[in-house]
Amino acid sequence: MSSYALEQEGEETLNPIPLTLISFQKCTLGCPILDSFFNGGIPCGSITELVSESSCGKTQLSLQLLLCSLLPRSHGGLNSTSLYIFSEPPFPFRRLKTLSATFKHPNPSPSFDPCDHILVHGVQTSEELLEFLDRVETLISQPLIRPVKLVVLDSVAALFRSEFDNHLADLSRRSSLFFKIASKLKALASKFEVAIVVTNQVVDSVGLEGLNEVQVGNYSCLFSSGRKVCPALGLSWANCVNSRVFLSRDEEKVADNKMWGSNSQALSENGGFEDGYGDFRTRTRRKMQVVFAPHLPKFSCEFEIRRDGVFGVKP
Amino acid sequence: MEIWSLPFSPSQRAKLLSAGYTYLHSFSHLSPSALAADLDVSPQEASDVLRVVTQAGMMRKPDSIVAGAQTAWDILCEDRTMNHITTSCEDLDGILGGGISCKEITEVGGVPGIGKTQLGIQLAVNVQIPVEYGGLGGKAIYVDTEGSFMVERAFQIAESCIQDIMDKVLQTDDVGVCQENLHVNAILANIFYFRICSYTEQIAVVNYLEKFISAQKDVKIIIIDSVTFHFRQDFDDLALRTRVLSALAQKMMKLAKKFNLAVVLLNQVTTKCTDGSFQLTLALGESWSHACTNRIILYWKGNERCAYLDKSPSLPLSAAPFSVTTKGIRSVASSCKRMRTT
Repeated sequence: MSSYALEQEGEETLNPIPLTLISFQKCTLGCPILDSFFNGGIPCGSITELVSESSCGKTQLSLQLLLCSLLPRSHGGLNSTSLYIFSEPPFPFRRLKTLSATFKHPNPSPSFDPCDHILVHGVQTSEELLEFLDRVETLISQPLIRPVKLVVLDSVAALFRSEFDNHLADLSRRSSLFFKIASKLKALASKFEVAIVVTNQVVDSVGLEGLNEVQVGNYSCLFSSGRKVCPALGLSWANCVNSRVFLSRDEEKVADNKMWGSNSQALSENGGFEDGYGDFRTRTRRKMQVVFAPHLPKFSCEFEIRRDGVFGVKP
Repeated sequence: MEIWSLPFSPSQRAKLLSAGYTYLHSFSHLSPSALAADLDVSPQEASDVLRVVTQAGMMRKPDSIVAGAQTAWDILCEDRTMNHITTSCEDLDGILGGGISCKEITEVGGVPGIGKTQLGIQLAVNVQIPVEYGGLGGKAIYVDTEGSFMVERAFQIAESCIQDIMDKVLQTDDVGVCQENLHVNAILANIFYFRICSYTEQIAVVNYLEKFISAQKDVKIIIIDSVTFHFRQDFDDLALRTRVLSALAQKMMKLAKKFNLAVVLLNQVTTKCTDGSFQLTLALGESWSHACTNRIILYWKGNERCAYLDKSPSLPLSAAPFSVTTKGIRSVASSCKRMRTT
């Protein structure tokens, strides 16, 4: 049925790609500890998913990536223009401004503003996203001085969680859409060597019954804020991403005097600085874990969110 | 075949018929002199007749099919010498009868993160273990539909594979047989990597493989990672999907037989709704499950990875644990110890 498609394309496209020519290119996260966690950074050519409950740092990490991808290749960046597709308005512009103020480009020209090289687009529905991805392809294929090398989709779950019912027909329509979107993203990734990052939400895992109990990846259950959770969008979406990293947070009471010095800059969940009360104060411990990834071992790493970005914590 | 259909002159034909030669097989094991005596003709003419008969005999089509039949004994003997590609995990090799077998299609399915791609990369490396060290010394074709093939991971696995071979060599004090082949870059260069972005491309590559393998020689394994991905979108006509997929499976089967190579198809899992309850099952539906000769399902058992041989024409269905380590697919550490002590 489709052998004619092959003849039109010619047989050159069919020749195998020598493995030595496939780029190892990765995008730094702007922190050596996080980079070593990701074994060098976010890989180009595949989809990396960051999954967590709200206020764990998905968006923070995404914003930081947007900035880091602007770095020249000699500094671990992609020398790229970056595209941020958001489905959960508003776009956190003030946070991006704060981050870009402390962002250090190695050879800045006076007119260099990181925000000039970050494209932002909002989508509300999955159809809109599909349509937009077609336009992205024309955008990426254009010979820009700084080609698009990083696409962040924040978040994929928001597009799907309202629109669909729990019926079988709706579910299969939904998973067909997952595969469509994933296949478009992967085609972009492999054709243009783009790094794709998507974020996903979690749902609470309740009871022993149900599909949520299917173990996907290295952990039989994931915990965040003391609750048992699992990534949203189910098994079919899990089939669509190449790597999945889980971010979690837990409140912890620590003695005031010990942690005050080193952690005074840590932002609490409502954006202000944490205050000690009495002898104890709560401290948020954030952790990222590799759920599955073709190139990463089962590994976890603590991190913190500071005014100037997301940073790993030495174990 | 009767002799009147052969190009004899009328007089020759009359002589042959009157002497009782009606069918071709009546000439078998007949010398020209005996025929000459029977027909009362010169030996020269008799040998001419026999030449016509042998030529006709060689052209007979039905006979050549019958000649191509193999006895079950032959097939058994062939099976005994059949090549296997090791998975680098003794337990897994054990339930597979020595590894992934050549000339057959093996389907491997499991949830995301269970290690399908890891097994794929491991096999692409292991197929290249030289014959001297119990491998096949072949090359691999890796058809990547999902973008999960990571060169850095292949590099790691190749490195550990070479390390393992070297360790074995040191144990047997047989150093320096063919070390020059054992280089990571050489191993990577012998993995032919196709990156597929749509199902049309997937079909095109499968059609093209026969030509490619004929030119390359020595390809001993084809891995498609995964056969499923592009077939799970945009197929409203499921009957068409089934037809396309079974044509694909048939082509792979043909390649496997013709070039004596192993075909490994990786598959995803999906949920099947029967009577209101959901069950995990391999994707692509019921008819696809007939397409593959062997089927291995990878699953979690607590915190341990397990493989279950779900379908096999010759081996008992059983399960074995395996683990994914930095070095690649390996036996579970505890079961290794168990094997050593016993």
